Amino acid sequence: MITRRPLIYWVKTSSVKLQVLLLIVIAVNIAARVFPLQMQRMIVNEAIGLKKIDLLFLYCGLYLAAVLVASALKFVINTIQTYLGQETLSRLRKELYAHILTLPISFFRKASSGMVVSSLVTEVVSAGELVGQAIAVPVNNILTLLAFAGYMFYLNPLLAALSLGIYPIVILVVPRLQKHSNRANKMRVDVTRDLSSKIGETVSGIHEVQGNASYRIENRKYGEFVDRLFKIRIVWNMYKQGIKVLNNLFQSIGPIILFVVGGYLAINGRFDLGALVAFLSAYEKLYDPWKELMDFYQVYQDATTGYQRLMEYFDVEPEHALEPPPDREPYEFEGNIHAQDLSFTVAGGIQLLKQVNLDLKPGEQLALVGFSGSGKSTLAQCIAQLYSYTGGSVLIDGKEVSQLTKRDLAENMGIVAQSPYIFDGSFKENLCYSCEALLEGNAEKERKLPSLDEMIEVVQQVGLFVDVLRFGLNAVLAANQEAELVTKIIRIRENFQKHFGEKLADYVEFFDEKRYLDYSSVAANLTFGSPNSKEFTQERLAENQYFLQFLDEAQLKRPLISLGRELASQFLDILGDLPPDEVFFKESPVSVDELEDYKELIERIGHSRIHELTPDDQRLLLRLALRFTPGIHKMATLPEMLRNLILEGRFLFMAKIQQDHPGALSFYRISDYIHSLTILDNILFGKTTSDHPNAQDRINQSIIHLLIEEDLLERIVEIGMDFKVGTKGDRLSGGQRQKLAIARVFLKKPPILIMDEATSALDNASQKRIQTLLETRWKGKSTLISVVHRLDTIKGYDKVAVMKAGKILEMGSYQELLAKKGVLYELVHGAKAAAQ
Amino acid sequence: MNSSMEPKQPLSEYQANLEILMQLPLFAGLPLEPLKVLAYLCKRETFRPEEIMFHEHEVDSNAYYILEGTAELVSERDGDAELTAFGEREFIGSMALFCDLKRLFTLRAKTKVVCVTLSRDKFQKVVERFPEITGRMVQSILLGVHAWEERFLREHALTCGDCRKMIGVSLV
Repeated sequence: MITRRPLIYWVKTSSVKLQVLLLIVIAVNIAARVFPLQMQRMIVNEAIGLKKIDLLFLYCGLYLAAVLVASALKFVINTIQTYLGQETLSRLRKELYAHILTLPISFFRKASSGMVVSSLVTEVVSAGELVGQAIAVPVNNILTLLAFAGYMFYLNPLLAALSLGIYPIVILVVPRLQKHSNRANKMRVDVTRDLSSKIGETVSGIHEVQGNASYRIENRKYGEFVDRLFKIRIVWNMYKQGIKVLNNLFQSIGPIILFVVGGYLAINGRFDLGALVAFLSAYEKLYDPWKELMDFYQVYQDATTGYQRLMEYFDVEPEHALEPPPDREPYEFEGNIHAQDLSFTVAGGIQLLKQVNLDLKPGEQLALVGFSGSGKSTLAQCIAQLYSYTGGSVLIDGKEVSQLTKRDLAENMGIVAQSPYIFDGSFKENLCYSCEALLEGNAEKERKLPSLDEMIEVVQQVGLFVDVLRFGLNAVLAANQEAELVTKIIRIRENFQKHFGEKLADYVEFFDEKRYLDYSSVAANLTFGSPNSKEFTQERLAENQYFLQFLDEAQLKRPLISLGRELASQFLDILGDLPPDEVFFKESPVSVDELEDYKELIERIGHSRIHELTPDDQRLLLRLALRFTPGIHKMATLPEMLRNLILEGRFLFMAKIQQDHPGALSFYRISDYIHSLTILDNILFGKTTSDHPNAQDRINQSIIHLLIEEDLLERIVEIGMDFKVGTKGDRLSGGQRQKLAIARVFLKKPPILIMDEATSALDNASQKRIQTLLETRWKGKSTLISVVHRLDTIKGYDKVAVMKAGKILEMGSYQELLAKKGVLYELVHGAKAAAQ
Repeated sequence: MNSSMEPKQPLSEYQANLEILMQLPLFAGLPLEPLKVLAYLCKRETFRPEEIMFHEHEVDSNAYYILEGTAELVSERDGDAELTAFGEREFIGSMALFCDLKRLFTLRAKTKVVCVTLSRDKFQKVVERFPEITGRMVQSILLGVHAWEERFLREHALTCGDCRKMIGVSLV
């Protein structure tokens, strides 16, 4: 298991070839670093000493070559090191993630998602990087040290021994100092923490402080912490500096010894001058590898403790194997479920399930009822292997559930959780999630995935059809595509106006050239058409010189800039300090990405007058104003006067552009498709004025009718399948999410279905629909265990089990149990009725 | 607020919402920042006469403040007859902001009804950002329940026989 691996494992398993290459490069590099020393010696002794210019140039040239080679090799070493480190880091990340996914559900109850995130994102980094350095750095530096030392011994053993004699002292002293420094550092962390909580306390209690004028008390308390921190930081820094100074000191003493002894020897003629120079250089060069080794020691310490702590955190065994052994295919069950004396005890000896027995034949349906906390969900989850029962047994077709692999279960069981999770992506991806999971890695995946017809069928069954249709209607068709679809939509538009125009006038604001459109943007109100060239798209109008000129001419520029400014400052006043969230931006002309730009702009321009603004700033504000849609953006109003001016402007613009740029825009005409608008807006030839379900229902009904006439229904639903549901399915309602979760399990057609209060967020009609579906389509085909929160849905089940405090009190058909006048009777009719 | 400086400008819908929220007991004690966001997230809805605003037995996640018109509360238990009616400046349904509850009644527009609505999804987004407001709001709801029972005890509970058994809501 990944969490039991020591850090060294990652070094061992990293690319052997690269590690060997690295060692070779290091060896060459060291040679290239020692070589200049010999050159120094020869330059002094042979070239300068014997006054030979040619030798001087030769040796200097070799010297330069060695330096160049050494630098190049150093770069190669760093590159290989980085590659090894990053490669290990990504392996570590992938394997740890794969491990985390398999951990028991109970682990995630305790673990915070923040901890998991930071583990995978930041905490693994130092361990990964250490692996990159693990061989290179120590080997490189130790070898370098040895090489220099060796060279020194080669020059003069006595001198070498004398000058290197200092290092053992350093090795003895420095770690001791380091220990003190570490202790001081720990204290610093603790006191800093105290200090922060003290500050936090003051801030939250500031009204008490000011109310009591207790400034002096608080200053004193705070001052005590600061003073302690002051002392500790001084001690800490003194140790740190001490180590540095000591290191330097020893380093500087060396040359003195060298000069004294070396000089003495040189004067006596027992040591040549060149050797002394080389010796000095070698000694100085010892410092770098030495320092790097010390640093590495520090990094190594930090990384190993960090790595250990990280791995301890995730050191939990997955409870079940993921895949069946290679010699066996996943089981295909019929759906017999047999539980015998099933019990489940959690930490602290709390028994959540006590001796539960039940028997289900393939295709039988069981409802679990009882108060919350009675163990219904726990029982369902134990059967689904989400919890590992602690006693008794559960058999599916005679196989013990705890021995099954995750794959066996996924092939045979569909689980709808109490609060299902919807993933970021398209509706279709979520719908096929369960099916796709079984096919991932399969070469024929594409072919085996459900067909569009199957998807539409299941979507219809769970009651999501209209929703998906709606997503499709709200899609924007790319220009010059789907010519056939476009002609049909135009036809539908005509029929819509004919048959439903008047009836739906309350919910739709039709495009009317003589009226101001409250549900269209200012830009749309002015141009009243869809652009045929990029410069005239609504988003770019604020940059379009021709359009800006027109605004000036129509006396609109200044009022619009002023409107833009009001919009921006209102919006920032309301939401400027909040972390951005899509929900907050739905009814605003400012988009999530622009928030910071506008914040900066509004702060910068302060109270400046419009004429003082730069053209760029004006354009930013104008852009907002052009997006302003009074029916949707409620933080500002459109003054009557401006409204009239814009309406006048529309006609001026029409006249002007037809003359200057005919064809730049297609004006909204009942006979033309408008590519900048959604399919729905195209059919309506206008905008809806309410997204209330009642209004939507009425519009949908009429449109569905027309879509069927043109045989377009499925095509639009197909477009709707590509709807992006947002992170966590944010753009879906709670009911839609639950229906989608049911649909994705139905699409898999598993022989066993586990539904844990799967319909709790649904309205009555939808609940009934799902219930009928279970009774008609799934009875006899899939064994169903359903945790039920509403008693009016249980009549159709083959068996009802009433649970209390982890036990099944009674089990039988609905009629049997009612006739018995037992616990179920009490639940259905109320305790008092039962007593009478 | 801009309105004080430029009295001629009509209030924007957001400003009107803010003023309403500040007067409602449920929101009154909240700091201005979350209130502004709530006001911004409120919506206006119009219901035609006879239109159902929410259905008995169904989850509805909105709170309503009636701006104009009257809505009647009916129950199928009682043959869809009017139980009581809500009119202008009344605020109903705030429990739905906190959790999924199936409505015990149907609310039907009697006349054309215009109201300000706030949905739980949006409300919860605000709570995510300002978790401290829940405490105050729960307090205000509990005080409401408490006051209700106090009045119930004073006015009915002790005098009408069956009511006695119903005593104790405030002891939940």
